[in-house]
Parts: sequence; C-alpha cells; structure tokens
Amino acid sequence: MATELEELIDFLTAPSPPVKKAAVDIVRGLTGSEDGLHSLSNYANTVLSSLSRLLSDEKEVSEPAAEALVNLSQNAGLAAKMVEMGMIKIAMDLLYKPGSSITRLLVMLLVNLTQLDDGISSLLQIGDDKMQGLYVMKLVRSFCRSNETNDDPFDHVGSILVNISKKEEGRKMLLDPKRGLLKQIIRQFDSSSPLRKKGVSGTIRNCCFEAENQLQNLLLISEFLWPALLLPVAGNKIYSEQDTSKMPLELGSALSIDREPVKDPEIRVQALEAIYLIALQEAGRRALWSVNGPRILQVGYEDEEDPKVMEAYEQIGSLLVHGNETEEPSTNSSK
Amino acid sequence: MEAGSEPKTETEIADLQAIAALKESTALELKENGNELVKKGKKHYQEAIDCYSRAIDQKALNDQDTSVLYSNRAHVNLLLGNFRRALTDSQHAIKLSPANIKAYYRAAKACLSLNLLSEAKSYCESGIEKDPSNEELKKLAKQIDLKKMEQEHREAQVSKALAEAKELVSAIEDRRLKLGNAMYRELTGLRKPVLDKNGILHWPVLLLYAEVMSSDFIEDFCETDMFSAHLDIISVYHFESCPPLPWDEKNHYSREAIELYYEAGSGICLSKTKILRYLLEGTAAANVESIGEEEKDAADGYPHGNSAGSSKWVKVNEKRTLHDVLKEPNFIIPMIPVFYVVSKRSAFYKDFITGKWTPPV
Repeated sequence: MATELEELIDFLTAPSPPVKKAAVDIVRGLTGSEDGLHSLSNYANTVLSSLSRLLSDEKEVSEPAAEALVNLSQNAGLAAKMVEMGMIKIAMDLLYKPGSSITRLLVMLLVNLTQLDDGISSLLQIGDDKMQGLYVMKLVRSFCRSNETNDDPFDHVGSILVNISKKEEGRKMLLDPKRGLLKQIIRQFDSSSPLRKKGVSGTIRNCCFEAENQLQNLLLISEFLWPALLLPVAGNKIYSEQDTSKMPLELGSALSIDREPVKDPEIRVQALEAIYLIALQEAGRRALWSVNGPRILQVGYEDEEDPKVMEAYEQIGSLLVHGNETEEPSTNSSK
Repeated sequence: MEAGSEPKTETEIADLQAIAALKESTALELKENGNELVKKGKKHYQEAIDCYSRAIDQKALNDQDTSVLYSNRAHVNLLLGNFRRALTDSQHAIKLSPANIKAYYRAAKACLSLNLLSEAKSYCESGIEKDPSNEELKKLAKQIDLKKMEQEHREAQVSKALAEAKELVSAIEDRRLKLGNAMYRELTGLRKPVLDKNGILHWPVLLLYAEVMSSDFIEDFCETDMFSAHLDIISVYHFESCPPLPWDEKNHYSREAIELYYEAGSGICLSKTKILRYLLEGTAAANVESIGEEEKDAADGYPHGNSAGSSKWVKVNEKRTLHDVLKEPNFIIPMIPVFYVVSKRSAFYKDFITGKWTPPV
C-alpha cells in the first residue's frame, strides 16, 4: 500500500496536467522545509528524474519543478545524484530554449551543482574533446551580453564562474588566451550589480592562483586586469598628476576623478589577494611597478579602516619590500 | 655423391692431395708477401690487400688461419681509410675464429671511425671479455666512451636550443603576433626575443631616429613595460646629458618633443617554420634539418595589409605597454620591433607625418 508521499511522487508523472500541477506545487512546498527534504530524499532517484522531466513543460509546471530542484540541490548528496543523472546537460539544453521562463532558476541550479567537483567537471565538459568548454563559453557570453537591467537572469553566472575557477581545469579554461574568456569576464566588473561585481572579483582572484604557471595569460590582459584589481583598493582621493603620469591611460584617468568606492570589503580583500598572488612572481612585481601599482596601494591603505582589508594591504606591502632588488623597469640603452 | 666425383684410383687421390698442398703453400706465401708489403709503406697497401685477397680465394687454409687473413686485410683497410670494408673483414675474421682478439680491436676501430659508437663499444667489450688484460682494447674503450659523451652533450645542446626556440614560437603564436622578415639586420645582428621564467617575453627594440637614420637599442624591453618608462630612461642618457645627441644641434629631441611611430601593415607574415629558423640562427640547433613543423603553415608568405610602397605611420601612445602595441593587427613586427623616433619641433616632422619620407632601403 503506497504511502501518501509515494502517491504524490507518482502524480508527478501523471498524464493529467492539473494533477501534475497540483503535485509539483506540493513537492515544491515540501522542498522548502528540512523535514520535507528529508522525506523526499528517500525517493531521490524517482523524484529527481520526474522533476527534471517536468522542466520542459509549460511554465505552470516547469517553474515549481525548477524551484524544487534548486532547493533539493542545496543538499550535497542530492546534488551529487543530480550531476550523476546528467542534470547539467539538461539544464544547459533548456537554458537556451527560446521563451524559457525558468532561466534564472536554472542558473541558480547550476550554481548549486557546481559546488561539487563532479558538477564542475560536468559543466567544463572535460573528456569530451569536441565540445569541451562549450557550456562555459555560452554562459560567459550570456553573462557579458546582458543589459544593465535589474533582475537579469544571468546575474548568478558570476557565482558559477567562481565555483569552476576553484578547480585547476576551470582556471585553465578561463585563462586560455585562445578563448579569451577572462578578458570578457573582467569587463563585467564595471557593472553596478553587486552580485556581478562579486562574481567577477571572486573569479579573478581564483584564477590568480595560476600565476605561478600561467602568469603571461594574466599579464597579457593587464590593460583590463589592473583597473579591475587596483581601482577597488585605490582609496577615495583624487590622485595627483605626478602619480597618474606613471600609469597607463585608463587607470590614470579613472584615478584623476571622483569615483564610487567599492563598499563590499570582501571584494577589496579579493582584489588584494589577487594582486598578492601576482606579486609573488618576479614578472608580476615588475608589471605592478610599471603601472605605479605600489603607489596606488600606498594611497589606498591610508583610507582603509576594515581590519581584514588592512591586513591584506600589509601582506603585499611586505612582499614588495622584501622582493627582488631591481624593482624598477630596467633598460640598457646602447648606441 | 655424384657419379664421377669420387676419386677412383690411388693416383687421383695422390694428385688431389698434391694440389691441396700446393694451394696451401701458395696461400701461406701470399700471406707472407702481404705482410712484407704492409711493412714497406703506404704505396704498397693496395698490393698487400690484393695478396691477402688472393690468399683467401685459395680456400686452402683452416678457419683459424683464414681468420688471420681477414683480420690482416682489415688492418690494411683501416690504414687506407676503408672503414666499411675493414668492418666487414673484421666481422668475417671473428666469425671464423672468435678467439682472434685483433679482429675485435679492428672491428671496434672501424666502427669508431664510422661513428657507430654503440657497436664499437660492444666489440671492445667482447674483446676485453676474452682477453681481460688487453691494454689497447681498454684504451680504445675509453676513447669510445669519451666520444659518446661528447656526442650526447652536443645532442643535448641541440635539443635544448630547439626546445627553447619552439617555446618562443609558441609564445608568439599565443599572443597572435605577426612577424615579418627582419629589417636592419646590420644593426640588429643576432638579437632575439627572450622568454623569462614567468613566461613573459622580453624584446630587444630598435629605435631609429628617422631624421638622420641614427639608431639606438633598448636591449631588454619587457612586454609588460610601458613605453613611457623606457623613454624616460633614454631621455636621461641622451637628451638631458651634456652634450645632447651629437647630431641634434638645435636640441629638438627632448623628452616632451619626441614621438614614436611604427610602420603599419605592409609586408609578408612569416610562417611558424620560418620564424623558428630565424630564432635558431646562431644557436647549437642552427643546422638541424627537420624541425618538426613541416606541415604547410597557413601564414606562409601571406601578403598582408597595405599595398606595396605606401607606408603608413602609426603613432605609439606612450602610456601603452609594448605587448599592447605589438599585438595591433596592422603591425607586422620585423622580427625585432622597430620604432621610428621623430621630434615635433624639427622641420623634418612635417615631411615624416605627411608620408613624404620613406626609410632608405
């Protein structure tokens, strides 16, 4: 004799639309509570596959189904099951269906699934020679193409990027100069959406862990990288002509005018950590000096009050002091 | 046995025995002649070889003695520089008499001269095995080891040079830079870009003062450096020093007045293979025949950009990094980047800007 719950789950695949709708609404409700989640997870396989099938239905059904899946994916065990049953591919296929109303939810689902190593591998499409990186490219393009509307469904892609950049394969893909992904992503730093800014900042910081092996892939986009890293930690003052004359154009002009400070201390810490990782390398220090970076850090430090951020400034400071002897760009000129 | 091949009578047997004895003594005599001829000197070597050959052809001696014939002939072939023949003779000698130490020695020597170092070593070792106290073989073994080490060292240097050059080509390709034929070789010489341990490129950069075609070098311009930093340093050395640039009597060339230009777009983009060849010049791997990139490169001889003859001058923004300028799509780097320096204050400036001036060929 089937329990009520078992019956309910069965109704998810009922032929009658109103029945399906009622069932999925209830299931969605259940996923909102600890107890409900727990009970449902006993039937994980059935529930997950039924819900994923409902994602391609019309929006009365697909929306609650998607919400339910997002809630369920917050549980690591269930998330792992979802990845195993190919949920990443299902989500990506549906994401770009024209007229899709569950875009935002699918993106959030991907955020949760990429908390897992397997989820990341699945999204990176490692092992599939032909298609490798296609999903990531699509997501980055959507992230970068958005209008400055509030509520852009792709706002959360930033968090996906932070997740995949935790894995070396993810960083390699983002840094690959042939794909040019990091360059596109950095430009989103100017966005007014704090969520986006944070996603970009976190991604850059993670990618800087590759500084030891792939410094050139970071420094060669320095035109975009330095502004993204140095502006948040440049303090509030307007810089003097003497200081900005030693900086590249974009950086110099940005610092010559009034600007909005970056309020989130975590973003400032991430920027400083990224700079630190670059400065660990000799060529990184050299590049930092060549854009008058240390001066910017010095001025920014003066305005800083958050202790965690101050610590991050100090860490770089001691690295620069104890770094190589010849820090200034050196030239031999001969006739 | 065939009918008629078996000796029928005692007389026939005696005759055959006599013939055999005759052949044997002929062979021995020829051997002696050969030995004498060798002692007589270079002019007689070929004759000596003939003697030994005829002796062998008698087919009258036992294996041990025939082995000596072969090994003697090998000796003379070595003296004549016929190393291949010396080797085959030694090999025959060894086959007929594995105790013939001299044969091993001569085989090893022949192999050494033919640069077959492993085989040479192997013959040496076989010989030493049979005669452990043989000093000559031991000396030869040492010689072979030395040659092997030298060869391995050379090969390692070639591999290293090749690998470094390939890494450089790869770095250039990753940055999508276009390289063309080198210009001003008499000034640039064998200078090349260098990849540092962080994977960052450092370029030697040629500065040409267009007005007088005088030149200057920035030996190490790191691709992440800005032009302004290097110009600052140059201006200290040249413009503000006393005396200023010797040909700049009116002192037009000051830090604020100078501008940098590069020549845009005309010329041919070189293929990866050609770039690799250029980078290998002057290194240990300069003469390597096959460098692995034999497939038809897409960019080989690809004419690019402006029509021949009309140079377009593009001004360099000092606040940009070298990398940013080099990767401009219309910049075909002539192996070593070349920038033309002009002064806003000089009368020459107008001619330059309006395209009336072209660099002398």
